[in-house]
Amino acid sequence: MAGGEKKAKAGENGRAMEDLLAAVAETGDRRAFAELFAYFAPRVKGVLMKGGASDTDADDLAQEVMVKVFKKAKLYDVSKASAATWIFAIARNARIDAIRRAAKPDLDPDEPMLVPEEAPRADVVCELKQRDARIREAVTRLPAEQREAMMLHFYADEPHSAIAERLGLPLGTVKSRLRLAIEKVRKELDFDDE
Amino acid sequence: MSNPQHHPRYETLADFAAGRLDEARAVVIAAHAEVCEQCARDIDALEAIGGGVLANAEPAAMSADALEKTLAMTGAQIMPAQADERPRPASALDAYLGGRSIDALNWKWVAPGVHQHVMKAQGYRDGVLRLVKFAPGKGVPVHTHKGEELTLLMRGAYRDALGEWRAGDIADLDHEHTHEPIAFGDEPCVCLIATSAPLEFKTVLGKVLQPFVEL
Repeated sequence: MAGGEKKAKAGENGRAMEDLLAAVAETGDRRAFAELFAYFAPRVKGVLMKGGASDTDADDLAQEVMVKVFKKAKLYDVSKASAATWIFAIARNARIDAIRRAAKPDLDPDEPMLVPEEAPRADVVCELKQRDARIREAVTRLPAEQREAMMLHFYADEPHSAIAERLGLPLGTVKSRLRLAIEKVRKELDFDDE
Repeated sequence: MSNPQHHPRYETLADFAAGRLDEARAVVIAAHAEVCEQCARDIDALEAIGGGVLANAEPAAMSADALEKTLAMTGAQIMPAQADERPRPASALDAYLGGRSIDALNWKWVAPGVHQHVMKAQGYRDGVLRLVKFAPGKGVPVHTHKGEELTLLMRGAYRDALGEWRAGDIADLDHEHTHEPIAFGDEPCVCLIATSAPLEFKTVLGKVLQPFVEL
């Protein structure tokens, strides 16, 4: 399929990705999916590799996440989360599922408990896009080492202590970088609280 | 119910949002978020940060045939919109209770005025989830925590050196805290407690009680 051309630009205006998801949901539109894939799959793979996954594993896992994105497209609710946030939640839940399957091979993968919801709870529809844009912006402004700590917090499949070891840093340093990063990004949010 | 006054530490919410909590503690946080708008919004924002990190991530080139393989794996199957519509978090606890109400559980006596119901929470990572019911005036002997403990007040109230706790409140304690919660009021206090390691009792009574309480 010729859908693999890079359309990363579409992702930068924030809106297009949500429309693409809607197109996949409505008609199983493969071209729309190809665009989503071109933007998100390499990013999911990128964060997984930063978290210590091998090239092959990260490639496989990114594909697995994108399979779920396709299959669950109808469950996506644009009023509740940006596409990036929803796909983050899919990736996170896929990781939790994998851990649970490893611990209990017989477990029904669709068992309802314990996987946090994929669609976050916000109901402030109109503020959502602005907020997510501000969050993205705030993340780009973080010092590199804080951004790294935050990325590993959300995407590395290992405890903070193992992350610290891999980075050759004391655990306290990793935790304080993460705390500082979250505090900075959070300031962006407090703006429209009350 | 009035809004909860005691919340999880932000660090705990950040671990929940990132999928880092053991199963037992994840259930407790989910149940609290159900009744606490503030924490639900914090979790929501943390998830959005996870999305923001993804949008900013440096891409790593996918293998050449990755898209074709992915499309093949989907089998062009899209789940219907309602497929995933499950009742929300108390749901997580409901699944553990097997549809029974708290009153209908098979409560086990552990000490005068103290009963508990232990639930397996082994989905991923070690953790224990239990409901503990204290008659007014009863409580847990002074103890501290080796691992991390989360307690959600389900019914009634208790007080300890840190304050008063009522339905919806969370006690997010770690090894720095020592406490001795005592139930008060007219009805028994029911707590949902997640522990990721055994509690450490500080009194002789506690040490004697420990094997029974299994806390």
